[in-house]
Amino acid sequence: MAVKRPGRLFEYGLNSERLLMREAGPKQDEPAKFETELGDLENRLMLSTVEKAVAWAQGSSIWPDTFGLACCAIEMMSIVSSRYDVARFGAEVFRNSPRQADLLIVSGRLSHKMAAPFRQIYDQMLEPKWVIAMGACASSGGMFNNYAVLQSVDKVVPVDIYIPGCPPRPEAVLEGIVRLQEKIKAGVPPAYEIRKTGQG
Amino acid sequence: MSPFASVPGFVEQKESFGETTVVVDRERLVEAAEHARDELGFNFFVDMTPTDYLGWGSRGVAGYWGSPPPSSTRGWEPAQRDINTPFPGSQGLPRMPEPKPKRFSVSYHLLALEQPPRRLRLKVWADEGEPVPSVVSVWPAADWFEREAWDMMGITIEGHPNLVRIIMDEDWEGHPLRKDYPLGGEPVRFSDED
Amino acid sequence: MAVVAKPAGVLATGARPYEGTKIPSPIPTVLQVDEELRESGDILEINFGPNHPSTHGVLRLVVELNGERVVGIKPMIGYLHTGFEKNMEAKTWWKAITYAPRIDYLAFQHNELVFVLAIEKLLELETPPKAVWMRTLLCELNRLHSHLVWLGTGSLEMGAISMFWYCFRERESILDLFELVAGFRMHTRYFQTGGLAEDVPVGFYAECQSFADAMPARIDEYEAMLDGQKIFLERTQGIGHLSAADAIAMGQSGPILRASGVDWDLRKRQPYLAYDQLDFDVPTRPTGDTYDRFKVRLLEMRESVRIIQQCLDGMPDGPWISDDRKVVLPPRHELHTSMESLIHHFKIVTEGYRVPEGEVYVPIESPRGEMGCYVVSDGGPRPWRVHFRAPSFVALQGTAMFVRDTLIADMIAILASLDPVMGEVDR
Repeated sequence: MAVKRPGRLFEYGLNSERLLMREAGPKQDEPAKFETELGDLENRLMLSTVEKAVAWAQGSSIWPDTFGLACCAIEMMSIVSSRYDVARFGAEVFRNSPRQADLLIVSGRLSHKMAAPFRQIYDQMLEPKWVIAMGACASSGGMFNNYAVLQSVDKVVPVDIYIPGCPPRPEAVLEGIVRLQEKIKAGVPPAYEIRKTGQG
Repeated sequence: MSPFASVPGFVEQKESFGETTVVVDRERLVEAAEHARDELGFNFFVDMTPTDYLGWGSRGVAGYWGSPPPSSTRGWEPAQRDINTPFPGSQGLPRMPEPKPKRFSVSYHLLALEQPPRRLRLKVWADEGEPVPSVVSVWPAADWFEREAWDMMGITIEGHPNLVRIIMDEDWEGHPLRKDYPLGGEPVRFSDED
Repeated sequence: MAVVAKPAGVLATGARPYEGTKIPSPIPTVLQVDEELRESGDILEINFGPNHPSTHGVLRLVVELNGERVVGIKPMIGYLHTGFEKNMEAKTWWKAITYAPRIDYLAFQHNELVFVLAIEKLLELETPPKAVWMRTLLCELNRLHSHLVWLGTGSLEMGAISMFWYCFRERESILDLFELVAGFRMHTRYFQTGGLAEDVPVGFYAECQSFADAMPARIDEYEAMLDGQKIFLERTQGIGHLSAADAIAMGQSGPILRASGVDWDLRKRQPYLAYDQLDFDVPTRPTGDTYDRFKVRLLEMRESVRIIQQCLDGMPDGPWISDDRKVVLPPRHELHTSMESLIHHFKIVTEGYRVPEGEVYVPIESPRGEMGCYVVSDGGPRPWRVHFRAPSFVALQGTAMFVRDTLIADMIAILASLDPVMGEVDR
C-alpha cells in the first residue's frame, strides 16, 4: 500500500466509537484526545499488506504433523531437542492430529502399503498446508529403487521442499524449514496450487 | 550314531561352519519338530527362512583363494588357504555350485536354552505348489514367520490358522522374494536427458 | 527351562491349544473376542495407526474394546516394508553392507555387525584385535543410543515429557562420538568385511573417555526421574505380565526375556567379538511386568558404560582391518609399487570379492534381543539370500499375548516396554 499521510483512523475502516469520540467542545477541527495521545501514528505501527502479515504469521508458527516413518524420524525428533531447537523457528509444536497441523514432514521411506493412509492424512490437513520431503527416500526413493518403496512421495502429494540426506543432519532439516519459511514469506503459494503430483 | 538320526523323517545331516543342518522330509515336519522340541530340547524357535533356488548354478563361479602374505607386524594368524590345494575352484577355473534337490528350501533355526547353548537348522525342501505343514502347534512363535514365508515366497503353509499376507498389501499379486519376481523400481533419469 | 504346554489338540479340529498360557488361540498372534461378549453388543472396534504418536512407528493395531478393557487385538504390520532382502541380493557384498544399518535404525551398527560377521564366517576371515575391540566399543555405544531413544520416546508416550529432552541430550553426545569416528551421525557404515573401514581418528579415545566418565551420573538422573515417581510406577508395575514359559514359547529374547527372569544374553552364552574377555553383569528381573522391562534396560545402560570403560582400557594397537587382499582393499601406498595390489584393488572394486558357497546363521545380542543374519552364498560376488531375524518382529507377534486383559492406556505402556522398531519388523 502506498504510504500516504494517514488521516483519521476511521478512514482505514476502524469503527471503534472510542476513536471517533471527541472532546465535547466548540473546536471541531482540532484532533480528538485519543488521537493526541497516540501522537504520530506512522512511527508506531508497521504498515503492511494483510497478505504479508498473514504470511509472516503462518511461516513463523508452522506446526508439523507427527509423521515419522523410519530413520529420518529419529533425526526429526532430534531437531526438537535442545541442541538444534526448532522452537526458535516456531515449529516445535508437533501436532498429533493432521487437522491441527500445517506442515507434513515426510521423514522416511514410503512403502506402497503406507501410501494410502499417507494420502488420507494429507487430505485431512486443512489448507494452507505444506509438505517437506525429508531425506533421500522421501525425495526420490533413496537407495531403495525397488518394488516396495514409492520412488518419491511427490507421486502422491505435491511437495514444497526436498531435503537430501540419508538421514539429513538436523541442521539440514532446520535449513529446509527455514527455506520453507522464506518461501511462505515471499508469497510463494503452497505446492498444491502450483504443482501437480508425480512431477518434479 | 548321531543324536539326530532318530528325528522322524530324517534325510541327512550336514556340518559346516560350525553349524548343524538336519534335512527332514517335508511330510513329517511336525513330528520332527515335536521330536526336536521334546526329545532333543530345542524349545526356542528362533527363525524360519524360505529360500528360492531358482537359477542356482546357472552362472559359473570362479574361486581363487589364497592367503595373505606373511607379515611380521600382524601379530595374529589368519586362516591359511593354499591355492594349490585341490579344492574345486582353487585353481581359478570356473565351477558350478552344488545343485539343490528342489526349488525351495525352508530352514528352521532352533535353539536349546541351556548352557552351553545348542543350535540346529532343520531344513525341508519343497517344490512349487508343495505345501509345508505348519509348526505353530509346536512353537507358537512360528506364526508370523510362516505368514511371511507365504507372503514373500509363496510357500503354502498347511494348517496355519491365519494364512494371510502380512508384509505386502492384502491385494498384492505375486510373491516378491521369488527369483522370478523382478526387483522393480524405476530407471534413474538424469538431468541432461530429455 | 520350562517348555510351553503341549497343545491340547490339533488346531484344525477347533480344540484350544496353549491352554494355561496367556497365548491366545487358535491364532497365537490375534486375540479374538469371546462370542458371548460379542453378542452383548458392547464391543467398540478402534483402529490405532499406522500414523499414531504412540505406536513407535507405523504399526497398526485393530483393537476391540469393551469399555476401557482390551478384549480383542490384531496387530498389522508391513507399512514400512522396504524390500531390503531382495535389494541386497542385487548388490555386491560390499554394497549390501550399506543397506543393513537401515533395518533397525536405532541400533544401526548391530545390523552392520551381524551381516559383516556372517560374511566373515563364510569367508573364514579373522579380524585383527583392534577391530574386534573397536567393534565391541561401538556396539555398546549403539546399545546406549538405542536404549536412550527408547527411554525418551517410551516415557514421552506415557506422558513423562521431560525424559525425552534428557535422553536426547545424551544421545547427541553419543552421535558426536560416532561422527568423530566414522564421519556420520547415524548409519555410519563403519564396519567393513575384515575389520573397520578406516583407522580410529586421533582424539576419539579421549572424547569417549570423558563421555564414559559423565554417563553414570546421567543414568542416575534417569533412574531418579522415573523410579521415584509414583505415576510411572503405577502405570508400569503389575501391567503386561509375562511368564518365562510364555516368553520362551513365543520366542521372545533380549530384555523382554530377561525381565521375565530368564538369564539369557548372547554376549555371555555365545560370546562374539570381545565379550568373553570383558567383565559385566546381565541384569534380570523376576516379575516380567512392564516395570521390569524398563528396569532391565536401565540397568543394561549401566553395564554398557562399564563395558565401554573396559574397552577403552584394553584397546589394543595394530591394524584395523585384515590383510587378506582378496577381500580387503590394499593400502593406497601399495598401489604405486605392487602390481598384484593394483589388480586386487581393481577386482574388488569392480566385481566385488567372492564369498565361498555355503549358508550361515549368525546371532548377536542387539538392544532388542537376538538379532540374527542368515546368509546363503553361491560363491559369487553377490548374496544369494539374506535374511535378518528381527527381535522386534517376534516381540510384536506377542502383542496379543501381552495386552490380554489390560486397559487401553496400559496397552500403550506395554507397547513402549516392548521397544519395537518398525524398520526391522517390516524389513
